[in-house]
Amino acid sequence: MRLTHRRNTRAIGVLALVSAAIVLGGCASDPGGVTTLNFFQFKGEALEDFNEIIADFEAENPDIRVVQNQVADADTIIRTLLVKDKAPDVITLNANGGFGKLAQSGVFYDFSDEPVLQTINPAVQEILAQLGNKEGEVNGLGYVNNANGVIYNQEIFEEQGLEVPETWDEFIAVCDALQDAGITPFYGTLADSWTGLPSFNALGAYPSQGDFWDEMRAEGENVGPDSPVSFQKDFAEAMDQQYELFSYMQDGYRGKTYDDGNAAFANGEVAMLLQGIWAINPVKAINPDIQAAIFPYPAVDDPDDRLLVSGVDVVVTMGENTPHKEEALRFIDYLFEVGVIEDFAASQNMVPSVQGAEISDDPSLQSVKPYFDEGRITGFIDHQIPPSIPLAAIDQQFLFSGDAQAALATLDSEWAKVAARTIPVNGD
Amino acid sequence: MTTMTEAVRASSTGGTARKRASRTRSDASRAMPAFYWMVWPAVIAFALFHTLPVVIGIFFSFTNYAGYGDWNFIGLSNYINLFKDSRVLQAYGFSFLFAIVATILTNAISLAIALGLNAKIKARNFWRGVYFVPYILAILVIGYVFQFFFSNSLPKILAGIPLFADNILTNETWAWTAIVALAVWQACAFAIIIYLSGLQTIPTELYEAASLDGASPWRQFSSITFPLIGAFFTINVVLSLKGFLQVFDPIVALTNGGPGTATESVTLLIFRGGFSGGEFAYQTANAVIFFIVITIVSLFQFRVLQRREADF
Repeated sequence: MRLTHRRNTRAIGVLALVSAAIVLGGCASDPGGVTTLNFFQFKGEALEDFNEIIADFEAENPDIRVVQNQVADADTIIRTLLVKDKAPDVITLNANGGFGKLAQSGVFYDFSDEPVLQTINPAVQEILAQLGNKEGEVNGLGYVNNANGVIYNQEIFEEQGLEVPETWDEFIAVCDALQDAGITPFYGTLADSWTGLPSFNALGAYPSQGDFWDEMRAEGENVGPDSPVSFQKDFAEAMDQQYELFSYMQDGYRGKTYDDGNAAFANGEVAMLLQGIWAINPVKAINPDIQAAIFPYPAVDDPDDRLLVSGVDVVVTMGENTPHKEEALRFIDYLFEVGVIEDFAASQNMVPSVQGAEISDDPSLQSVKPYFDEGRITGFIDHQIPPSIPLAAIDQQFLFSGDAQAALATLDSEWAKVAARTIPVNGD
Repeated sequence: MTTMTEAVRASSTGGTARKRASRTRSDASRAMPAFYWMVWPAVIAFALFHTLPVVIGIFFSFTNYAGYGDWNFIGLSNYINLFKDSRVLQAYGFSFLFAIVATILTNAISLAIALGLNAKIKARNFWRGVYFVPYILAILVIGYVFQFFFSNSLPKILAGIPLFADNILTNETWAWTAIVALAVWQACAFAIIIYLSGLQTIPTELYEAASLDGASPWRQFSSITFPLIGAFFTINVVLSLKGFLQVFDPIVALTNGGPGTATESVTLLIFRGGFSGGEFAYQTANAVIFFIVITIVSLFQFRVLQRREADF
């Protein structure tokens, strides 16, 4: 009996050693002068594209091997890696509020002095800067961008003789004209609560230009109907506009899902979708021949004031103290080469951030190109709202009940509560 | 599942087993060393993977840790803020309403089905197997089937009733009933098994004697069956209430807390606020409070229910 017992411990010991060797082996660099870069990649649909990029890169740089780690739920995993001080060499992430928080805490490399930074569209870097950087640093490089606008069926617009609306009144006139012709203007998909957010972001972008979010943060727990800035003060019109658009939805829009919406739009059942460029690929998967383009929400009276809401879909960065800094930078420089980024953006149906890189000739992308060229883009406002506020749920509730005042009061009180319980880390 | 069966055994076999156990212990002078070798790994593993994380969690509830980066001690602030947070209070309200309704339904339905499965019906083992199937299926998978049913099939089948025609899952007032339906459907499978095992401990002579005396089936149930499975009833009610208070998967599968925050349970709030919301320490404090609440509720239930169990 004792013998078996000892044999078992030995077996367990060997097993532990083997697994430790596997784990450690992943970090060690190969002996033959080849450096292995750990490439953390969040975007599942981009796995194949990056595999091709890596293969080409390795062919050109035989001394570097890049291992792509594509993970689900990257936001959580990158946090655990950073906590354990195991920052990957090269990282791609979605540039959301969480990325801004990480960048602020100073866990990423400072790209201020890197030449690659000069090649990127400054408006894109401005969106990243609004999310957050460590004081005086540039901690991320925008790679490809999305566009949040109204998707419309060009054929339906042509048949009805409609032009792309440039002001709010024209927008409503288009909706009325479609409705009179017996065509449902929009397909609502409120069973998925987040599908209310694209229009909220686009319409809310107008009242929150300038220092709005800085002032909101400065107000903190005092945000309310009487503070200089607040949701109740500044967002009432945007909420009314959103509710007005939702009055043009099909019957039963409360119970339909995002996938239902894409299918209905792809089959020409409705003229428009309140979604962004990300919905084009799933729509084309159902109907490859559809002619769809995008226009920004014309929530203003002057066509020149229109803004396109755009987010950085993929941001590239690297760990602050990676031991393979020089190799990692070489890989990043390669990623931002015009030809590489053009191919990647075209395949992902996104807008490349490098100046001079051509946007693919897809009509949906061409329709938003001028806004990127002129820098008339602004970030997603939900990235400025702390993730602990259930924004999607509050907006969905508002679109059900139509009570804008209650929704805005909830947003203000949630903002104040989160500010009150967010106790900043002090220096020591 | 192991804790469930152990608990049933502990509360059902009463005093006799304990007496017998103590007698054997006094007969043997000392347990064999082998038994210690069997106990220690479990103790160490339990402490390492359960007790230690709990203690660490309680520790972090007194800090402002966001899940990454630096942190400070902030004393009881998290706990004080919890009581000011209307969203937390709403989540507790929802969890308790849900748990109480689901517990009553689960126990009433599964007791009825268990009585049927214990009777002399044809293909009894087959039916017992059928009723156990929901327990084997992964709730998330089955949840998406239910979601399709609620949002696509029911609106077509019951197109005349506005509540169902408009997808009940997006109805702020009634969405919780759909979650109850899924949770009860799954929970019944295990409750039935416990009730069945309880019913089999009742000697058939009792029923024979009762029917000779002319007792009606209802009288037999209320005077013999129900009192004699009292211990099983207790354990089922306590375990269901505890399980339903911690409801998570059915909500994720059906409504994800929506519409609005109408079906947000405490566990969903802890998960969302703590992981995606970046308020790790704050929601850890919430988890500590929730743990205390569940412990108190369960102990209270045991006291009340065990007092009315039949002694035999």
